[in-house]
This record gives sequence, structure tokens and C-alpha cells, in this order.
Amino acid sequence: MSSNQDQPKTSMTRRKVLTAATGVIGATGATFAAVPFVSSWQPSEKARAAGAPVELNISKIQPGQMVTVSWRGKPVWVVRRTPEMIERLGDLDDRLRDPNSLVSEQPEYCQNPTRSIKQEFLVVVGVCTHLGCAPLYRPAVDSPDMAENWQGGFFCPCHGSSFDLAGRVYQGVPAPTNLEIPPYHYKSAQVIRIGEDPEEGGVA
Amino acid sequence: MKVLQWLTICVLLMPLSLRAAGPSLPLESANNDIQDLDSLKRGAALFTDHCMACHSVKYMRYNRIAADLGWTNEEVVEVMSYGQDRPVDHVMTRMPDGVAMNVFGTKVPDLSLMARLKGTDYIYSFLRGYEYDPETKSWDNRLLEGTAMPHVLESMERHGSEEAFAQAARDISNFLEYTGEPAKLQRLDLGWKVMLFLLLLIVVTYLLKKEYWRDIKH
Amino acid sequence: MASTQQTKQNSLLAWLDARYPLVSTWNEHVAQYYAPKNFNFWYFFGSLALLVLVNQFVTGIWLTMSYKPSAAEAFSSVEYIMRDVEWGWLIRYMHSTGASAFFIVIYLHMTRALLYGSYKEPRELVWLLGMLIFVVLMAEAFMGYMLPWGQMSYWGAQVIISLFGAIPVVGPDLATWIRGDFIISDATLNRFFALHVIALPLVLLILVFMHIVALHKVGSNNPDGVEIKKLKDAQGLPKDGIPFHPYYTVKDSFGAAVFMLFFAFVVFYMPTGGGFFIEPPNFEPANPLKTPDHIAPVWYFTPFYAVLRAIPDKFLGVLAMGAAIAVLFAMPWLDRCKVRSIRYRGLSYKVLLTIFLISFVVLGWLGTQPASPELTKLARIFTATYFLFFIILPFTSATEKTKPVPERVT
Repeated sequence: MSSNQDQPKTSMTRRKVLTAATGVIGATGATFAAVPFVSSWQPSEKARAAGAPVELNISKIQPGQMVTVSWRGKPVWVVRRTPEMIERLGDLDDRLRDPNSLVSEQPEYCQNPTRSIKQEFLVVVGVCTHLGCAPLYRPAVDSPDMAENWQGGFFCPCHGSSFDLAGRVYQGVPAPTNLEIPPYHYKSAQVIRIGEDPEEGGVA
Repeated sequence: MKVLQWLTICVLLMPLSLRAAGPSLPLESANNDIQDLDSLKRGAALFTDHCMACHSVKYMRYNRIAADLGWTNEEVVEVMSYGQDRPVDHVMTRMPDGVAMNVFGTKVPDLSLMARLKGTDYIYSFLRGYEYDPETKSWDNRLLEGTAMPHVLESMERHGSEEAFAQAARDISNFLEYTGEPAKLQRLDLGWKVMLFLLLLIVVTYLLKKEYWRDIKH
Repeated sequence: MASTQQTKQNSLLAWLDARYPLVSTWNEHVAQYYAPKNFNFWYFFGSLALLVLVNQFVTGIWLTMSYKPSAAEAFSSVEYIMRDVEWGWLIRYMHSTGASAFFIVIYLHMTRALLYGSYKEPRELVWLLGMLIFVVLMAEAFMGYMLPWGQMSYWGAQVIISLFGAIPVVGPDLATWIRGDFIISDATLNRFFALHVIALPLVLLILVFMHIVALHKVGSNNPDGVEIKKLKDAQGLPKDGIPFHPYYTVKDSFGAAVFMLFFAFVVFYMPTGGGFFIEPPNFEPANPLKTPDHIAPVWYFTPFYAVLRAIPDKFLGVLAMGAAIAVLFAMPWLDRCKVRSIRYRGLSYKVLLTIFLISFVVLGWLGTQPASPELTKLARIFTATYFLFFIILPFTSATEKTKPVPERVT
């Protein structure tokens, strides 16, 4: 630029304006050009298809039994809770980190004490919120391989996080939040559809 | 030198006007328009009724067809698979494996890319290319003699108007052009916007070049 | 305020410069690289080749993220990219169009060198390195075309690899070794993938770097073929030279924008290039049991392919095809005329070069056509004229009647 001092001043302004304009348009173009490359990292249609909702017939699940289904490659647990199990959930609040699920991940329609649409059935993603291990199902009170005063729930063997039978995390363990509840709804009384919200926001 | 430049440009454009030579059977022009969504929808329905008993378009998913043609996911599986498949499924034939070998003595080709391989004119001409031989009392196709494929639009040709028959063949050809390259709809829609932007870039870079080059005395 | 910022910037630059030759490199190759001021239309193609190279690198890297290099999955993974990967179709078309664009740009770049004698002393190495780039690029393109694993990919590779089989004694074993199998197979595809995405791009990158270093050592030629370094002003700068930056950076930006307009037109409105950039039979998966009715290589190989077909002997045909490429390496020594630019050269070179360029284009067209007796005759005539250029040139160029070359560029 210094070699152009003999140029009239107006031309230098024009030059600066044109340089800036080219820079702005060029940068805009580069940004647009980057869009395809960035968004091609999103899950492809194939991945989305594999992550499509899955259906499960729950009529055959025995009280206290847990069934695992795969949704988006992750284990989803469906537990049929007995009335006693549901009752015990109410006594645990002072031992839990987030008893009312204020900071945990769940659909709005499951932000309740039992974290479910129907109290009887717990539907939960079986991935520990600490570092992604799959916790073990230990439904019985005082399970022999569990710590003292065990109230039934899930225990993560990786780093010892424990959760109650609503997937709520206990205090004093590494996992920060409750287990995630996936979107789901009742297609009929016997069939639940995991991976899709109910049509009208409530129980379908 | 200017002459040479023009010559170069002409040489560069020349191949675009020449098509690679292919078989010289006369083809009718399909005159289809891939941006005509109604035609594509009719084509999808016709394809379902007349082709899908044997042919698949295995690279297409129902939900992609729905999104591009303006159907909902429920509508597309209703129209194209009578609610038998999920929207994310690929468009497969309803014929079980191995049946074609027994019935026709040949494999039935997947039609996903047939339009890209042969062109829509070929498909259109093929669908309309059946001729009845009273001696053998059977249909044969002038484009592919001895083909195992039956004349799927036979009832249309016999009982419908010539126009309706042509339109049906055109709609199916159109739908197959779409399945050959579903992104074509987006491509045609985006191209001119990109080119307009590049025109703007050409203008500013040209002005910038002119401005700087005022320094250079010739 | 502004001045403190300036000082900070300068001290960072000084820190860097004490550890890395940043400023001096920038100056030597861009800001104070003096290029002749009379570059014309033909001089856009060098920078455009670099632009296409970058395009191929970026889109190519992205394609490998979704492509599967196996005979079982390659074809459907390309359709997966075209349909299921977001924007995959655009990235794939940019890459396939880029391949053809690369050759268009390179052929024009080479024509420029023939017009203005850019291969002559002292630029022989620039030319040789450029020729090496061309050969590696052909290998790169050939292997890339195989990856979609369509019918043309398969049978094109079959034909080209069989050429090695024509070599006496070792040929058949060599062909088997290249394939890693007795037919083109998964093993062939897998190794070509490795070469296409890692080995050859690396070689290309190094060669392009050397090509530019060699060019900057001797300085650019120009349409007048005048050596601008001979006439310098009081500061020791070439009188007819101008700094590459900003003058040629702005000019090349304009050239790049125009090029991108053409490129975008092809990508969006004719991505198969009328059957020349992506051939229709390639939309059918590779089938080792069935050859397509008519196989022709992609357009950029057709001139050499036509030479191959013109010779009625397998081994001699392969030799002739190889020679058609190899003889170009010798240009700096075959052309003995001291005058560089065609502007000041005699009629003989103008006539010879015109015949050569016409032969090249006609051979290219012939290579796309199915063989017939008439066309084969034609191919023989133009193969002869193609080689005649190199045979006659050493004799006519030594005694060519040239026009006086000006002192300075016009």
C-alpha cells in the first residue's frame, strides 16, 4: 500500500471499500460453503432410521421383572414395578440428589415422583449419567451383594453410582443426575412406543 | 490471440453438445418434468400398482419420498405399501426372494438407478414398446426382444385413451428419474442461487482488480 | 491506541520470525515475488489448478468419511452418500466435477506452456515437474474412477490393468501383482483406495510444492517470452515486473470467481457432464460377468486411448500410448528455437502446433466413439500427426525464421 502514495486520495478510499466488500462477500461465501461440510456430520438418514421408535408389548412382563430393548443403539429398560416398590419410592427423598428431577433429563410428562406415565411401568435409558456404563438391576431390598440398607434400584459397577427404582440418583455417588427417561407413549394398553412423544402432550 | 481464445472456448464446449454414442433404437421422448410434483405422486402410485409386485427401488426410503413429494409419513406408507412398512424402510418389492427365478427365469433388476443408466426416454419407450403377436398370442417388446417382463400397462393401453396411457408411462418415467437422484429437486432449486451469488462475487472482484491495476502503466 | 496495537502485532511477528521464516517466505513468494505485468487469459490456469486441488482435497476427505472401500459395499455406499448423508450429493458432485475440471485446467495450462515456450531454458525443471504432476494426476484420476465400483469403474480398470499384461515376459505376472488377484476384485479396490486417498495425494502435494519452488527460482515466463529479470530499475527490481500481491492475487481472485461460476453450473445443472464426467453405465454395479456394450474411458484419457486403439498390435499399442505421454517430457530439448513466444516465432512452429493441438482434440473425440473401420483409419492419421509434431520439430525449430523479440514486454 505504501507504494501508492502518489494515487489520489479518493482512489485509496475506493480501494479500501472494494477490498472490504470483497472480503465480506468472500467470507459470506466461505461460510455458506462450509454449511454442507459441517451438516454432513449430522446423523445420516440411515442412522436416523436405525434410531426410529421401537414398540414393546408390556402385557407379558411380570411384576418386578425388567425387559431391555435397544433404541438408537442404547439399552432402554422397562420395569414393571410392584405396589410395594412404588410405595418405597416415597420414603427416599432425603437420601436422593435430585428427588424431584429438577435438573435431570426426562420428558415433561415424566417429571413426577415415579418418573413415569403410568406408575406401574418405568421406562428409562440404561446408561449411567456418570460416564456411560450400563448399571445393574438390583430390585430386592437388602440385596446380598449391595450395601447395607439397599432399597432396591440400579447400581453402576464402574464407579459405584446407585439409583432407586425410578432411576433417581443417590447422594454421595459420582453420577450427577438421574437416569434419562426417553420420550415414549402408550400406543395401546399393552403396547408402548419408545422414541416418540405422545400426540397431545399427555398420556396417549 | 483472441481468435485462439475463442477457439479454445469452442473446443471446451464442444463435448457438451455431443452425446456419447449409444444403441440406435429410436426412442420416444418422455417429456417428463421432475419438478411436477403431481406427476411424481401419480408416478409413485402407478409404480406401486404396476411395478412393485416385482421391482424394488432399494436405495429409496418412504420418508424421503414423502418429504420430497409433499406427503406425510403416514400417507406415503398408505399409498405405496398399504401401511405394511415403516416410513424409514427402503422401498422393497413385495415379491419374496427367489420367486422371480422360478416364475420368470431371471433376476428382476432394482429400478433405483434405471433412469440414470438408461434415461427416461428409454423407460417411457419401453413401457409403450409392447407389441402383440397374434401368432404366438403373446406380447413382446421392441426395445428388448424376448423380455421376461409382462406388459404391465396392458389394460391401460387396451381400455384407456391413448392420452391416459401416455401420461401413465410418463408419470412412471418421471418417478423413476426422481428415484435415480432424489437430490435433483434440491439441486435445481439451489443452483441458480449459488450462481447469482457468484455473479456478485465476480462483479466485486472485477472492480477490485480494475482498481488495483490502475497502478500499472502499460 | 492504534500504535500500541501495532507494536504488539510487530513484536508477535518478530517473535515468530525469529523462529520461522514467515515474513521472508511471504515476501519471497508473494508480496515481493515479481511477475511480468503482461499475463493474459492463459495465465489464470496455474492458480485455478491449485484451487481445484484444494477442492479435491477437502471434498475427498469428506467423501472418505462415508465411503466403504469394499467390493460388497462400495457401490451402495456411494448411493448412501448421494441420498442418506446430508449434503452428500453436493460433496460428491463437487469431487467428480472437480476431477474433470482438473484436467480441463491442466490441459489449458500445458497449452499455455506450448504457446509461449514456458518449458525452455531456464524453465526445463518447471516443465518436467509439471509433467510428473500430470502423470501422477492421471494415475490418481484412474484410481478414483474405480472407487464407485460401477460397470465403467470395473471394466475401465480391467482394460487399463490388462495393458500391463502386454509387456513381454513379465506382463501377465505384473498385471496379477497389480490386481492382487486373478481378476479385478476387492483386493484391487482396497489398494487403489489407499493409493487414491493417501499415497498419490501426498506425492501430488510434494510435486506441486516443488513445481512452484522451481518456478519462483527462475521467475515466470510471459506471453512475449521476454526475460524480465534482464532489465532492472535503480532498486534492482524488474522494470516489467509487478509484485504478485496485490496485483495478481486480486486478478486471480477474479479468475477464481469466474471459474467457480462455470463449476457451479456443472455441479448443479449437469453433474454428469452429458455422460462425459460420469458415464451412464457407471450407475450399474460392477458385474465381472457382463461387459457394457460400449466402454470408453473418461474423456480426459481418450486422446491416449485413441492412440492405443489405432495401433493394430497389443504391445506396440501400449508402447505408442506410453510414448504419446513420454515424448512431452522431452519438449525442452526437442524445440531448439531460441525464441520462446509464438508471437515471434516462424510459420513452421505455428503450423506444427496447430496440427498438434487439432490432433489431440480429434483423438480425444475418437476415443469416446465405438471403434469402426473408418474411425480407426482416422485415428491412425491423427496418431501420425500427433507424433509428427515431435519428429519434425527438432529440425524446423533450429532454423526457424523468427521475428525480432522486443526488449520489453508489450
